[in-house]
Amino acid sequence: MKYENQQSRDGRSDWIAVALFALLITIGWLNIYSVTSDVNQEGFQISAIALKQLFWIGGALLIMIVVSYANVVFIHYLSYYIYGFVLLLNISVLFLGREVSGAKSWFGFGGIGIQPSEFAKLATAMALAKFLGAYGMRFKGLKIIGISLAIITAPLIIVLAQNDTGTALVFLSFYLVLYREGMPGYILLSAVLFGILSITSIYLNSFDVSFIWLYGTLIVLGLAIAYAFRKVRQALIAIAFIVSISLVFSAVIGWTYDKLFKEYQKDRIEIVLGLKADPRGMGYNLDQSKIAIGAGQWNGRGFLNGTQTKMGFVPEQHTDFIFCTIGEEWGFFGVLVFFSIYLAFVSRLVLIAERQSDTYGRILGYSAASIFFFHWLINIGMTIGLVPVIGIPLPFISFGGSSLWGFTLLLFVFLRYDQARRN
Amino acid sequence: MQDLYKNRSRVFIGVFILFYIVYIIRVGTIQLNGNAYENKAINNALNKITLYPSRSVIYDRNNKIIIKNYVMYDLFAFPKQLDTLNKSFICEVLNIDTAFYEKLLTETWLKSRKRRKNNAYDRSALFYSNLSEAQYTVLRENLYRLRGFYVEPRTDRAYNVTGGGHALGYLGEASETLLKEESYYQPGDLVGITGIEKYYESIFRGIKGVKTVWQDRTYQERGDVNNDAFNIAAISGPDVTSTLDIELQRYAEELFKGKRGSIVAIEPATGEVLVFVNKPDFDPNELVGKDRSRSFRRMLIDPKKPLYNRAVKGVYPPGSTVKTVLALIGLQEGIIEPSTRKGCAGGYHMGSIVIGCHAHPSPLDLEGSIQISCNAYYCDLFRQIIDHPKYGNVNAGYRVLERHWRSFGLGSPTGIDLLGEDGGSIPTVEGLAKRHGKKWRSSQVVSLGIGQGEILLTPLQLANVAAILANRGFYVTPHLVKSIQGYSDTAWLRKFTKKHRTTVNPKYFETIIQGMSNVMKPGGTANGTGIPGIDICGKTGTAQNPHGKDHSLFIAFAPRNNPKIAVAVIVENAGFGSTYAAPISNLVIEKFLHPDTLTKVPFVLERIKKSVIEPL
Ligand SMILES: [Zn+2]
Repeated sequence: MKYENQQSRDGRSDWIAVALFALLITIGWLNIYSVTSDVNQEGFQISAIALKQLFWIGGALLIMIVVSYANVVFIHYLSYYIYGFVLLLNISVLFLGREVSGAKSWFGFGGIGIQPSEFAKLATAMALAKFLGAYGMRFKGLKIIGISLAIITAPLIIVLAQNDTGTALVFLSFYLVLYREGMPGYILLSAVLFGILSITSIYLNSFDVSFIWLYGTLIVLGLAIAYAFRKVRQALIAIAFIVSISLVFSAVIGWTYDKLFKEYQKDRIEIVLGLKADPRGMGYNLDQSKIAIGAGQWNGRGFLNGTQTKMGFVPEQHTDFIFCTIGEEWGFFGVLVFFSIYLAFVSRLVLIAERQSDTYGRILGYSAASIFFFHWLINIGMTIGLVPVIGIPLPFISFGGSSLWGFTLLLFVFLRYDQARRN
Repeated sequence: MQDLYKNRSRVFIGVFILFYIVYIIRVGTIQLNGNAYENKAINNALNKITLYPSRSVIYDRNNKIIIKNYVMYDLFAFPKQLDTLNKSFICEVLNIDTAFYEKLLTETWLKSRKRRKNNAYDRSALFYSNLSEAQYTVLRENLYRLRGFYVEPRTDRAYNVTGGGHALGYLGEASETLLKEESYYQPGDLVGITGIEKYYESIFRGIKGVKTVWQDRTYQERGDVNNDAFNIAAISGPDVTSTLDIELQRYAEELFKGKRGSIVAIEPATGEVLVFVNKPDFDPNELVGKDRSRSFRRMLIDPKKPLYNRAVKGVYPPGSTVKTVLALIGLQEGIIEPSTRKGCAGGYHMGSIVIGCHAHPSPLDLEGSIQISCNAYYCDLFRQIIDHPKYGNVNAGYRVLERHWRSFGLGSPTGIDLLGEDGGSIPTVEGLAKRHGKKWRSSQVVSLGIGQGEILLTPLQLANVAAILANRGFYVTPHLVKSIQGYSDTAWLRKFTKKHRTTVNPKYFETIIQGMSNVMKPGGTANGTGIPGIDICGKTGTAQNPHGKDHSLFIAFAPRNNPKIAVAVIVENAGFGSTYAAPISNLVIEKFLHPDTLTKVPFVLERIKKSVIEPL
């Protein structure tokens, strides 16, 4: 291959992506500083958490520098080994790990914890990239599809076994990557529809009222999608078929759900779906989250002034619910700026991925973009009540070392690869 | 190799933008929706702690403290947040059983529902009032683990007296009606229920303050809000000087022991009430703290009615005491002169009807008629007035009499600074016509002339009449509060300083006063009850009581010139005015005028103190 004889440092990194990364890290730390500050604080006083995050950020910058000197050939070569090693780490955490809020996904070293599943995202991306890269760009044949799916599903199941549903779900974003690599769109659509219908059929069981409205929407949506793909007759038929199957399926799900689940299990599911009121639990948290964001109005309540988040009314206010602080203190304009930076960031990654000359680089890029997008989608969706409460961090913003380092690695391994190509 | 799926990158960007827009819209609907969420956030994070002011300290006229305050600690609770694990601990500390705990919890819950919604403590209410020092200490040390409980300091009343409750009043928890009417109060607040505590509630209570603190989700304080707009200091009730002489009050209460009735003493020139005693009464010390409501319920059902304020609510026929007023009216109208003599043949005869009189020399002049309290004289005078030809008819004549009576404060409340005062009654022409027919005659109502029948006065009105006699023709509305520090409401000041003149010229008073002065002298109706060295002017009375033995009445003032004290005494079921009412009155006068030389009539004092008219 063409980069075989390249030096370890060649060309320049994509400065737009690096600048957006720096911007996100800064926004993240400012919000962590604010939400953990004392209510009557005067002047600059750094909390233990903000200090710790500063330390993690320092580590992330070190990672950035080290990776930018790494040999891309070596990276490519190591892909499978890294994947294997990280999977082993994730399995061993099942036995040696420490339990943190129900999930056994942490290695503890004194006061510091490492969550190996955060690194499984990059490892999976590398393995998938290497595997599909070796076969050119054809995502065809049972064997290739099977192995690809296995590469993705293995970490998913292991992380699920760690009882960390949120992180496990993140591996679904690799399906987006497969779509880019040629997986037929209807498979992705049917997967999405499957999810939507499973949830809506549970909704439908609870509210008879919106029955017609919801099904109507689904059918219209299905037809619209079919129209968009009208050139592909096969897909059209497939979608029509999927929609009708789904309708039957949802009815079946509804019935099974009613008969199969015990009362307390149903309660849990329905609380997650927001069907049951639970003032001091999930529902209460969501309310408080909305109050925090809503309190920001146009201009926000100002830096360090977000009482709703600072006083702990919003749960996990410096980790999973950090967006509430942005909403409360910076208001709608702040959110607009933040979302735009994030949109620019993921879009930039897609553009960089597209300019890769080989499959390996492209898959790395799409993996990074898909994972960052998925995290944003679920995390923000959760705080504004569009997605059930699933605890996953907001990349570069949420407090936490493992996730920050994992995301930094994911981003900079890809950018390093891009850098090598450009020279 | 050709990339077949290159255009799928546009799908990615498209999906990104789609969700970007969806999320922007969603965030917009949450944020750009007015300030409802912001208010919720503020209410969440700010806790307005009520700072309770101290109530006014109340002094007597000689600057002795009557009522002060003490700090007590109340346990408050958020009923919904309580942890059942703490139940047994709370029960143990408060020394209550679980059933009582549940009862308190239910009450707290009910109270919290009524609490005004203005801060995060909305859902909490008073759980247990008046913790003991030991209970407070234990609770304070364990508060961090007693989720849903907090302790608030408040003040309650501490009394330096055991009586005077009918004048001073007492405190109680704000009623539901009050809570609805005045947003100032929260359930559990202590407010004046009767007496001056009630009348001056809005002044005595002071002004509540607010301390705003940051609080987190678990209601833990996270520091003060350092913004003056959020913090208002509590303002204590101003110092209050009462008109009462607390030593005299105590002495009068002692004299009244074992009896039923009232004594009211007024400083004539100012209308200041010096003594305000009712018996039976209550000890205000029983109506404080955690026993308050239990004591109150007990007093409510007590057949002796200790809460009954007879000095302003009890109405009695004034009997012969108001002969003084009738005599003045006769003089003013020119119907009699001091020298006018009237005969008495053992009573007043109208055909077969006789209104009896006791044996005495006859005829008597005006002065003598007061000293001896001749019934015939006043029956005749009464008829003479209303039947006088110069008025035309009996209705017109009576109207003249009624107008004079009313100028002495009869038939309407005096306006004392107490609520619920009864005005007593004097009949109107219409009332008399209704009762006796349109063509009623003076002979039918002749008993009004001697203070019997449809004429009723409260002990306070009677004392006011005594003050009018002392003042030779005017009174100042009786009142119990002399001054309030920093309070100078002109309407209030005017109300209690304005002189109300009677319709009788002051020059006519001297004859009557001479007669009253003779009452304590040989031949007088209260001979032997006088105090050597003090020229007391008095008038006995006996109020007919259809339910039992007559009530003993006495009005008096002293000294004769430049009087310092006017008194009215009613002893229920004690018979003649001279037996009990006069000695009690005169002993009080003596105590007031010569507090240090009380040995002049020791035998009377002992007799009065020891006598029990009705076992109480
Ligand atoms: Zn007589």
